[in-house]
Amino acid sequence: MAKATAKQVLFEPIFSNNPIALQILGICSALAVTTSLSVTLVMCIALTSVTALSNFFISIVRNQIPSSIRMIVQMVIIASLVIVVDQVLKAYAYSISKQLSVFVGLIITNCIVMGRAEAFAMQNPPHMSFLDGVGNGLGYSFILICVAVIRELFGAGKLFGIEILPLVSAGGWYQPNGLLLLPPSAFFIIGLIIWALRSWKKDQVEAAEFKMAPQSRAMKEAM
Amino acid sequence: MSAKKESVARTLTVALLVCLVCSVVVSAAAVALKPVQTTNKLQDKQRNILQIAGLFEPGVSVQEQFQQITPRLVDLRTGEFSDALDALTFDQQKASKDPAMSQQLDGEQDIASIRRRADYSTVYVVENPDGSIKTLILPIHGYGLWSTLYGFMALESDLKTVVGLGFYQHAETPGLGGEVDNPNWKAQWTGKVVFDESGEPAISVVKGGVDPSNPNAEHQVDALAGATLTSRGVENLVRFWLGEDGFGPFLEHLRAGEA
Amino acid sequence: MSLRSFLDKIEHNFEKGGKHEKWYALYEAVDTFFYRPGSVTKTTAHVRDGLDLKRMMITVWLCTFPVIFYGMYNIGFQANSIYAGNPDLLAAQDNWRLALIAMFAGFDPASLWDNLIHGAAYFLPVYAVTFLVGGFWEVVFASIRKHEVNEGFFVTSILFALIVPPSIPLWQVALGISFGVVIGKEVFGGTGKNFLNPALTGRAFLFFAYPAQMSGDAVWTAVDGYAGATALSMAASGGVEQIVASGLTWLDAFYGNMQGSMGEVSTLAIFIGGAVLLLTKIANWRIVAGVMLGMVATSLLFNMIGSDTNPMFAMPWYWHMVVGGFAFGMIFMATDPVSASMTNTGKWFFGALIGLMVILIRVVNPAFPEGMMLAILFANLFAPLIDHFVVQANIKRRLARNVR
Repeated sequence: MAKATAKQVLFEPIFSNNPIALQILGICSALAVTTSLSVTLVMCIALTSVTALSNFFISIVRNQIPSSIRMIVQMVIIASLVIVVDQVLKAYAYSISKQLSVFVGLIITNCIVMGRAEAFAMQNPPHMSFLDGVGNGLGYSFILICVAVIRELFGAGKLFGIEILPLVSAGGWYQPNGLLLLPPSAFFIIGLIIWALRSWKKDQVEAAEFKMAPQSRAMKEAM
Repeated sequence: MSAKKESVARTLTVALLVCLVCSVVVSAAAVALKPVQTTNKLQDKQRNILQIAGLFEPGVSVQEQFQQITPRLVDLRTGEFSDALDALTFDQQKASKDPAMSQQLDGEQDIASIRRRADYSTVYVVENPDGSIKTLILPIHGYGLWSTLYGFMALESDLKTVVGLGFYQHAETPGLGGEVDNPNWKAQWTGKVVFDESGEPAISVVKGGVDPSNPNAEHQVDALAGATLTSRGVENLVRFWLGEDGFGPFLEHLRAGEA
Repeated sequence: MSLRSFLDKIEHNFEKGGKHEKWYALYEAVDTFFYRPGSVTKTTAHVRDGLDLKRMMITVWLCTFPVIFYGMYNIGFQANSIYAGNPDLLAAQDNWRLALIAMFAGFDPASLWDNLIHGAAYFLPVYAVTFLVGGFWEVVFASIRKHEVNEGFFVTSILFALIVPPSIPLWQVALGISFGVVIGKEVFGGTGKNFLNPALTGRAFLFFAYPAQMSGDAVWTAVDGYAGATALSMAASGGVEQIVASGLTWLDAFYGNMQGSMGEVSTLAIFIGGAVLLLTKIANWRIVAGVMLGMVATSLLFNMIGSDTNPMFAMPWYWHMVVGGFAFGMIFMATDPVSASMTNTGKWFFGALIGLMVILIRVVNPAFPEGMMLAILFANLFAPLIDHFVVQANIKRRLARNVR
């Protein structure tokens, strides 16, 4: 890897190297916490701070860690940070932390955190690692917020719990789309976002696994 | 340097130090934040109770509003108030899983599909200035379609007219069974009479809308559209908790004025 | 000027470099709808058969006609019967369709014409929306990808229109078919590359997105404010006894004199179309037989197990066959050649899996009285896996034969 500038490290993960859309990491929590925007925002802040801080601390001690216990040390640091974040949420954002329930704890197993610690923080100085963590957190947040806006707006007619589209059941005109409140809908939305992103940035398209041989005139013309 | 870094003593030292620092950080956070968390948890429950009893006023501190409500422990076996445990901290959900604190229910009795019922339950009483009961709030729970619904039911001083009913925890299908949270649906419960003349639990959830001219209309509630099983679950759990194995004996004692 | 020479005359506009190059797909669709394509294969692979994709799709389309006409008649008959018994309800309806019907026909349940027109006023708008919106997506993708509009869409659109309830709002029809065509088919590369049946994908989307308009009792009759339980939901609450108690006999159910989706009510009409499909070998008989066998075996098994609390356990297979979407799914949906298994042995397993799943969902799952849609989609997912095992087994067998 060539020396990256701070700006690159911070902004690359948002579109060009998005942890969810390109690396397909951290999907589990993206499905579970995106039914309402306020919950999603808290989750994004939690994940971004954990990624940034764990990157920072791991990078500080990176030259001291014996490689034989490298993973475990990373895990311990990440897990401690997650517990602290979880405790803080329980104390200052109780109702949201109740909705997030187990998913705050599951940040420990979120591939983005571990992946960035291993791939970036172990080789780079603390301030760069911190920025990388923030950047990847922002990349994650970007996708999650997109998904959450779509799901909450069209699934419940609200944003941040405030009514935007008046529902039929409350005398309005909007018939909410119940599928969007179910976890599989996040798959469709993330899929569509990836589709849009790859139509825009063609270099993200994976190489085709095989190519069909041309058979007829029409096919040849199409190729 | 690298050879020295990989030595056993070094590895152990690093591991120990990391663990030490992390455990200090974690326990410091846990201890420092504990009081705030406990109040949060309590306030959350209190807010639920206030909302269901129709007493909640946004903007006023929950703690202050809750002053008017007294938690009392009820022994469900005898149907009388009890002081065996602390009413505030008693955890009914946990107790109903503990064989020493609960009773197995047979198929016939167990219409709410909860399997075990705790021996005690915490009810909440709103008192009139003269000490008589103004509103009685009963915790109820039972199985819907996918999940156990946990909620409260508030009764007026006659102990058979509903003030409100609501659930604070469930996982029913959004849009169908999840409509138990719909304020319009919950509002229908207000004013319904849950016991008939003979004192038997009489409340049913009917499909296709309640006909107000029906003499039984005061015992009937509209079913949730498209959610037969959740509606039936709600009916069953209300019947169970008002029945003989629920708060039935307790309510009878209260009515007779001897609980 | 004949149509052919007109088409030839404007063709150059649509070819590479022509001024309407973008619209080639649309031109091609119209051209080949009327005439046989002029292109010939140039590789060594040849199929000597008068049956091409287009003729096949048109046949399927024609085979749905008995279902369409019976379906329209039945919508009208059910609605008019209710109006006849309750004139106030008719007066209370506020619906543009009724104004339309009143221009052509009355509301007499005994009149074939009245019923047919009444049903047409519900079915045709749904079909038109399906066709226009779905066709729009087809043309968009065909234009971007520079291939022809595929005839498969004819079948998808008619099947989709037949499996929705008559009272469905038209905007939901548009949303459902968009999802079916785009997510069910086009994202995977278009006709032939989809692993799910697009019509069912669209219906599944609506089923989960707008459950109140797609399930329950209120949606199956084309009358506002009237709830008529389907045979299956009656069976779910009280078994076959409750169906019979409501005055519905097995023969009624077989002919289709009951509430339901537009196309799925009449098992008889479905079997008429099905017979043609099977005789012309467009629908594969192995799949149909597999579904039937799987269904009969599973329901017999449940009959034997029995249950005190769940009346669906006791429902016999011949009732399962005539209620709900079973017959329609078996004949028109399971046999979709793209999303079913390809190998002959695989087709048996594929069919049997559908038969098993549909009974399993109907009987054991408390939330969904109907299981055909989900059973077929489920089996669609397994079709490639089934084929894989069939092919591997074949390879092994042949290796073993030639090993020494």
